[in-house]
Amino acid sequence: MSDVTDTSTPERPAQLPAQSPPVDPAETAAAEQRAAGRLSWWRGESGEGARRNLWLIGVLVALIVIGIVTRPDLYGNSSWVWSNILVILKLASVVGVVSVGMTFVIIGGGIDLSVGAIVALAGVWATTVATQSYGAGGMIFCALTVGLGVGLVNGLLISYGRLVPFIATLAMLVAARGLAAELSDKQTQVSNNATINDIASTNLLGIPLLVYILAAVVIAGWVLLNRTTFGRRTVAVGGNPEAARLAGIDVKRHTLMLYALSGLCCGIAAIMLTAQATSAQAAMANLYELDAIAAVIIGGTLLSGGRGTIIGSLLGVIIFSTITNLFAINGLTTEAQNMVKGGIIVAAVLVQQVQFRSLTQFLGRNRLTTN
Amino acid sequence: MTEHSRDLSRRRLLFGGAAVGAGVLLAGCTSNETEPTAAQTKGADAAASGNAAPGQKVVIGFSAPAADHGWLAAITTNAKAQAGAYSDVEFKTVEAGADAAAQRAAISTLISQKPNVIVMLPHDGKELNAAGLEAMKAGIPVVNLDRAFPDALAYRLQIKGDNYGMGVAAAHYIVDQLKAKGVSNPVIGEIAGIDSLELTQERSKGFADTLAQSGLKVSNRRAAEFTADSGQQAATSLFQALPKIDAVWNHDDDQGIGVLAAVNQANRKEFFMVGGAGSKKAMEDIQADNTVLKATVTYSPSMASSAISLARLIAQGKGMSDLVELQVPKEIILASETITKENASNYLKLGF
Amino acid sequence: MTEREEGVVTEPEASPTGGGAQGGSVDAPLLEAPADTVAGEVVLRLTDVVKTFPGVRALDGVQLEVRAGEVHCLLGQNGAGKSTLIKVLSGVHQPDSGQVEWRGEPVTFANPQAAMRAGIATIYQELDLVEDLSVAENAFLGHEPRRFGFVRRGQMARRTRQILGRLGHAEIPPNRMVRLLPAAGKQVVSMARALSHEARLIIMDEPSAVLAHDEVGNLFRIIRELTAQGIAVIYISHRLEEIREIGDRVTVLKDGGTTAANLPARDTPTRDLVNRMTGRTIEYVFPERPTGAGPAEADLLVVEGLTRPGEFADVSLRVRPGEVVGIAGLVGSGRSELLETIYGARRAEAGTVRMAGRVLRAGSVGAAVRAGMGMAPEERKSQALLLGEPIYRNVTLATFTRYARAGFTDVGRERAEADRIAESLELRPRDVRRPVRTLSGGNQQKVVVGRWLLGDTKLLLLDEPTRGVDVGARAELYQVIRSLAEQGVGVLLVSSEVPEVLGLADRVLVMREGRVVREAPAGELDENTVLDLVMAGSLMEGAAA
Repeated sequence: MSDVTDTSTPERPAQLPAQSPPVDPAETAAAEQRAAGRLSWWRGESGEGARRNLWLIGVLVALIVIGIVTRPDLYGNSSWVWSNILVILKLASVVGVVSVGMTFVIIGGGIDLSVGAIVALAGVWATTVATQSYGAGGMIFCALTVGLGVGLVNGLLISYGRLVPFIATLAMLVAARGLAAELSDKQTQVSNNATINDIASTNLLGIPLLVYILAAVVIAGWVLLNRTTFGRRTVAVGGNPEAARLAGIDVKRHTLMLYALSGLCCGIAAIMLTAQATSAQAAMANLYELDAIAAVIIGGTLLSGGRGTIIGSLLGVIIFSTITNLFAINGLTTEAQNMVKGGIIVAAVLVQQVQFRSLTQFLGRNRLTTN
Repeated sequence: MTEHSRDLSRRRLLFGGAAVGAGVLLAGCTSNETEPTAAQTKGADAAASGNAAPGQKVVIGFSAPAADHGWLAAITTNAKAQAGAYSDVEFKTVEAGADAAAQRAAISTLISQKPNVIVMLPHDGKELNAAGLEAMKAGIPVVNLDRAFPDALAYRLQIKGDNYGMGVAAAHYIVDQLKAKGVSNPVIGEIAGIDSLELTQERSKGFADTLAQSGLKVSNRRAAEFTADSGQQAATSLFQALPKIDAVWNHDDDQGIGVLAAVNQANRKEFFMVGGAGSKKAMEDIQADNTVLKATVTYSPSMASSAISLARLIAQGKGMSDLVELQVPKEIILASETITKENASNYLKLGF
Repeated sequence: MTEREEGVVTEPEASPTGGGAQGGSVDAPLLEAPADTVAGEVVLRLTDVVKTFPGVRALDGVQLEVRAGEVHCLLGQNGAGKSTLIKVLSGVHQPDSGQVEWRGEPVTFANPQAAMRAGIATIYQELDLVEDLSVAENAFLGHEPRRFGFVRRGQMARRTRQILGRLGHAEIPPNRMVRLLPAAGKQVVSMARALSHEARLIIMDEPSAVLAHDEVGNLFRIIRELTAQGIAVIYISHRLEEIREIGDRVTVLKDGGTTAANLPARDTPTRDLVNRMTGRTIEYVFPERPTGAGPAEADLLVVEGLTRPGEFADVSLRVRPGEVVGIAGLVGSGRSELLETIYGARRAEAGTVRMAGRVLRAGSVGAAVRAGMGMAPEERKSQALLLGEPIYRNVTLATFTRYARAGFTDVGRERAEADRIAESLELRPRDVRRPVRTLSGGNQQKVVVGRWLLGDTKLLLLDEPTRGVDVGARAELYQVIRSLAEQGVGVLLVSSEVPEVLGLADRVLVMREGRVVREAPAGELDENTVLDLVMAGSLMEGAAA
């Protein structure tokens, strides 16, 4: 952009008197922006996430259109369509909750490969005979505490043990699954607690409880990221850890908390998944780490940290579960489905990198460089 | 500052206390004590013939992969229990480790200990073929369990289940039931296991081939991962794709726990379901007849018990008493049996 | 990025004789016949070379003449254009006008490979070796002897051994991994690489900076070996004693132009050399120091015996409220490391940092910030800013928690506060919602400094606050710093620009090789004295005020 001084090139001519009235095009752009009034948020920094998410909604609409075209018989039935929306959201709920935690970790400049393993460990721990004897409350407490605890261990290894997040959480993936296998003696542990199992089958006002849980976690995550000091620190720590540290932010403690948060989300997800499957086992939540990371990435969060949105991650998860649904209703194989998912991830990242600038300019004639 | 630090230390204390408390609580929650599943053994006294009578002392070496699934866990349990039932058998297990290479190393160690016979469930039949050959060359007969060696010289006895037969049995049951109900043009769903495994493909082929004989076909097939949560999700997708279903075959009773959960959650009762493998819980459900699960086709881990019995006979040079031959045969393929409400009580002790 | 952005302003009628020299006899003739110690033919001749970057004339008529077999020293302050000149010679940049003659032919090197092929090798300060490859692989990196696509390892090792022998370092095994060599050994490998290209001219950019004292002698021995074989060396160093020892002739650069060429390295008086390098043509506009006795209150910051091995040793200093203390020193003198250690960003090995009488926990930025310190670090972009985030969030980065209620941020108040700061600092553009990335360097620096105006900062640590800042914004920043001091804030300032330290600080500490070599009120020092101190460490004859 020529209207602003890119500091990677040398300064403006020094001969320019400093006091001369600046005919700064950027200033003009800013004035235009103010003049745009109500719509200014859309073009401004807060609108950036919204613009990205619009693209994801476009993909979602396209998938639904494909569904309508390929199965007009099903889509012709309005009660089926409603139930299908709920099924898609239910399928998205567990990974969705995991993705909220993952979004924080990735915005904070890290990665958590152990989420699937934590879900499995928390689920298994919460369904041992001993835990089940404490009833639903005991099981929920157990799952949340195990998730939080494992997350804390991750965080300690990474922030104070100085392990690379990739390595630390990869090790945790292996270790947590191993411990889960040990606890369960490799058996599938059936949950006999009706309260827990009902979590997956209860509807409130025609909407599954699982969807409410997902919504609650997403809203809490959004508020935490966008309205609290915790969220601000997350962006700072991920965007420029050195700057955050030199501004007096305790980067290590915050990193620790990010992984603890991710672990806690896994604990919540473990309860949801255990309720859905009415059981838990060491191999459950297989490859959820990849599903969550993929959703976060196509949701527009930078893998290098410092920028991202919760809503984008949610849309990413919903896109994936819509694809699963689309392939199911057309009777296509899982292999083909995985290839399409891989393609979508690559396409999403490419499109966001290349086309976003032009789309952004087209939409808002916005002259801020957003990347 | 002192105010601040006192506050801080109190917070730390509280937090530390909570952490320790939670840790103690959680540690107490690891227990899984429950009445153990009865292992599938044949008591030494149950046999009518003289084969069960204590004979020459036999050392049996045993190796199976670490279990990641109920079925595999049952294999090891059964083998151990069956060996314990004979007073003349000494049972030696070696950890098979995480992969084929680790198991090869374990088998080599086992060979050097010179057992009379080796019973092995390999990680992969092809990859452990050489280990089988090595043992046979050293004069130790090998009993291969479930996953065949390609080389006939690598084993003395091969005993395995029938994956293709499972599909056949499931399809036969479904066809019979549909006929009895007089359903024309039925909608049949299939929930498979891990799709990339050969055994899954064999099961599906047996199922499809047999249905085709009656002019039927699978309307929709979803693959799960042999886990309950994947079964639940595959079933949920299947139900959404098929608003009305007449019959479902689910390959695996472990993932069937999730499938049945999905049935409840989707409130779908219009169809009946056939399971696979034959878990204890599935048999109990069939017997109770209060779910859509009406039958299951076996791929029973009881084969481990039989393998130990036959290994003992091979080492003692005896034959199977009901056969005319003086030695144990070279290959035994267990028929896949269909368990229904009527015969479930007979099989219950074989459930895992 | 050129050194020129350090902001030295070119005198419009800059004459090649260095008109700005203050006092002293400067009659060493320019471009006169070479000192008679040099007998070789001229291999490189630069005539009126000009290189401009948007807004800056980095090279403004450089003359240079290098003969075979000589060590030609380049002397100049930070920002004089030395780096740009090296890059032109090594093919990184191409000159806009003027002529480069290489062995009698006018040439333009399109890229570094072209320069390399022509026989010009450059050894940069940060040695560009691949640590995990062997000595031989590094020496022949990119032009390995090969046959049928396979590297001929035996031949490569043999030729490397040969070259190392020429350099007098036959003891280095060609198959040793470079990572395992000491700094001096790595430098030898860099030279071996130059020789593997049959270089006729080797440019060395501050080669002694990475070496321990006793290793420098060895370096000089190698340089003599090279020149004895007819290879020309361009040697860049800030250390006059080195230039005296190894150099044959000296060319002095100032403000992108040659102020003196081909001075005899051994017997040109130090004072003449320093005068050629200094003498501003446009003075910075510094705010006036407050008159009167100055602050007499108790010390705000007391640093005692602070030590980090390899960086600085036994540094003690004090800053009183309302006082601006400047630290002058070269890159590598330990000044930035010192500042970061005081701030807790590095952990001191020994010594204490006291703020208002209380000892701070070592290695804790949080403790320093709570005690009232703030820092504008050396690397603005990588150490201070969230480039993609809006201005106001960068301004409130250290303080947003105080505007928050129960953990919820108050963006409205943050914006208002940032707006106030932007107004008082005359930030341009003023819209605090814009990403910081879109600001110029000077305005970015205002954001970083403004960050600490929000809290109750008692001591501001500024590391090279005007790097990459244009003259106008510079004056504004100086004004901000001075007015902060008037409000009672203590300021500790580090700069490699001596006039800046002298013009802004009340008291000046001169650092050299990790130690404070002089401390004095700014009024008692002048540029020449300080420059001589940072370069040679000894007070030169007759220059003290």
